[in-house]
Amino acid sequence: MTWIIKNEKPKIGVFSLTGCAGDQLMILNLEDTLIELLAKFDIKSFQEASSYSENTKLDIAFIEGSVSTDHDLKILKNIRENSSLLVAIGDCAINGCVQAMRNNQTSIAERMLDVYGVKDNVYNALEPKGVGEYVKVDAEIPGCPIEKEEVFNAFISLLNGDMPLIPDYPVCVECKLNGYPCVIIEESKPCLGPIITAGCDARCPGLGLDCIGCRGAIRGETNAKAELETLRKRGYNDKYIINRLRFFAGNFEDIKNLGVREASKGERDE
Amino acid sequence: MSKTLTIEELTRVEGHGGITIIIEGETVKDVKMNIFEGPRFFESIIKTVYYDKIPDIMRRICAICTASHSLASIRAIEHAFNIDVSDQTQILRDLLIHGETIESHALHVFMLALPDYLGYPDALKMASDHLDKVKAALELKKAGNLIHNTISGREVHGMNERVGGFSRIPSERKLENIREEMLKVKAAAELGVELLARKEPQLNFNSKNIFMALNPGEKYGFIGDEILISDGSRHNINDYLNIVKERVVNYSTSKISTYKNHPFMVGALARLILNKNKLEGTAKTMFKKYQQLIREDNPLSNNIAQAIELVHSVERAEFLVNELLSRGVRDEHLPSVKVKEARGVGAVEAPRGILYHDYTFDKSGCVIKCNVITPTAQNIANMEKHYREIVEALIKEEENMIKRHLELVARAYDPCISCSTHIIRVKR
Repeated sequence: MTWIIKNEKPKIGVFSLTGCAGDQLMILNLEDTLIELLAKFDIKSFQEASSYSENTKLDIAFIEGSVSTDHDLKILKNIRENSSLLVAIGDCAINGCVQAMRNNQTSIAERMLDVYGVKDNVYNALEPKGVGEYVKVDAEIPGCPIEKEEVFNAFISLLNGDMPLIPDYPVCVECKLNGYPCVIIEESKPCLGPIITAGCDARCPGLGLDCIGCRGAIRGETNAKAELETLRKRGYNDKYIINRLRFFAGNFEDIKNLGVREASKGERDE
Repeated sequence: MSKTLTIEELTRVEGHGGITIIIEGETVKDVKMNIFEGPRFFESIIKTVYYDKIPDIMRRICAICTASHSLASIRAIEHAFNIDVSDQTQILRDLLIHGETIESHALHVFMLALPDYLGYPDALKMASDHLDKVKAALELKKAGNLIHNTISGREVHGMNERVGGFSRIPSERKLENIREEMLKVKAAAELGVELLARKEPQLNFNSKNIFMALNPGEKYGFIGDEILISDGSRHNINDYLNIVKERVVNYSTSKISTYKNHPFMVGALARLILNKNKLEGTAKTMFKKYQQLIREDNPLSNNIAQAIELVHSVERAEFLVNELLSRGVRDEHLPSVKVKEARGVGAVEAPRGILYHDYTFDKSGCVIKCNVITPTAQNIANMEKHYREIVEALIKEEENMIKRHLELVARAYDPCISCSTHIIRVKR
């Protein structure tokens, strides 16, 4: 897929909604290439890095963070209206990330009461969701955080009129290519690799750890029920597994309805 | 007649926040730090999660202090379940936190604060005239990130540090890379102190600051179990709720903290004032050289305090690598954990100040209650105190000048607003 570049130096903005600002930080972490890379673009807004900001039509808007308040939603709509391309960067902007893990399970009022001691939604908080729930998204760069090589390649692709290429296969593929022993089979660890988007070079299994799903589930390819069964067979109870599956997928179709009741009962069987 | 002075959105800070000042005649009526970062409710969403993955979720409160959150979280869990860790683990954790300090302070000192001092809107525009300074910042950031990558597995939201130790111990070769990198960036770190020392803006503040920092033990560092306060008192971190009193305010998704009803300050300046006699090497020399610039009542001194810590952390990281190599790096297995009904508190000096994590577990090892207090939340009351002072001092000046100075003060605190919203007390 391609897009038409209107300006030789595309006008871009990097914006952030509710999250940890880690995806902007990963862009700044491109230390070796940052200055040369950004010089190829006409940067109109980059909140974390600059006090300079210009409210203008953009060729590409990069957005990190989830839509978690009315305010976020207002900003998002304004950005969409003023941008030719909208690129969601990071799991917050794509799936809502960890702050969405209790969507459908607990209400905002319950969360308010837990944290601030009041029931009223004084902050106009919404159930955290990715930007695609509200506006059209042209491309996504997954990860919590995004991988810096991937975001670098995405910038270059976009500069050349191409859309970023993101893997559509699971972490297991990269795990096997690296020759790592399977942590589910060998060590009975609750790895989510089989249903999670690759592109991290199987970082966690490489360190002897189970994948926790930070790159998000693979759309249309995920069989969450099979993952649930696999982990059940390894002795994990439903509360444990469902919490696990929800970490980065509270809004994800196959997973969001899992454990709406189950999560409150049961102990881990060991 | 009253007028309102508003900074809609602070820039070159982490997260989203602004300032509102209400002025009546020539009197400052009200000062508010507005935080409009959406609430993420970490203390609520984490409930029912089994202990093993709590640090992986809780570290995502913040990108720039991710290792601080993960280590505060891990230490709270270890305290709850009485888990001791090896000397090697402690050294590796120290190294990781020094790496985080290097990366975070480099970003703040050179790229967020320095453009104010040199008169640029950002580091990229500053780069056209001062490429050497921006390059120094990037080199330092990269060096800090190398430590993160090597010890934690990734620059942001790593995974290798676990309850009880590390999943994989880094190889000696990789540790040697860290040492080489530290030697390379020493000069860049020292440049930070020199630049700020030359440009320290002349602003006066009248009120005395109350400082709080963790007692790092024998060496100047960032991990400890005792709170030191500038009034001379010392407290175990388990008493933190009696020290840091929080209240909810309706103009912010953060909470306001006070100590004995007074605002207080945490962060590099607080650490430097309370632990200065533990500085060593070049950091000690530079501290002595510029001591008169580090003024206890002036929040802008936090910038140069960070720069001195940057020098310290670079040298300390090199020392810790040597220590690990001379002991010989050993593979260690994570200890088995016996979960029980228990509560544990863990604290770490994040780059911006003390960070507390506090968990209560049920008998199956799942969290039932959680409380996190971040450094920026603790600083908000003190920031508001200083905003008031600066506006009072400049009240006859034009609005843009007042705003510029407010931003200067805000930025000196290096606020981490994405962090500050999670602050929070589970209903007691």
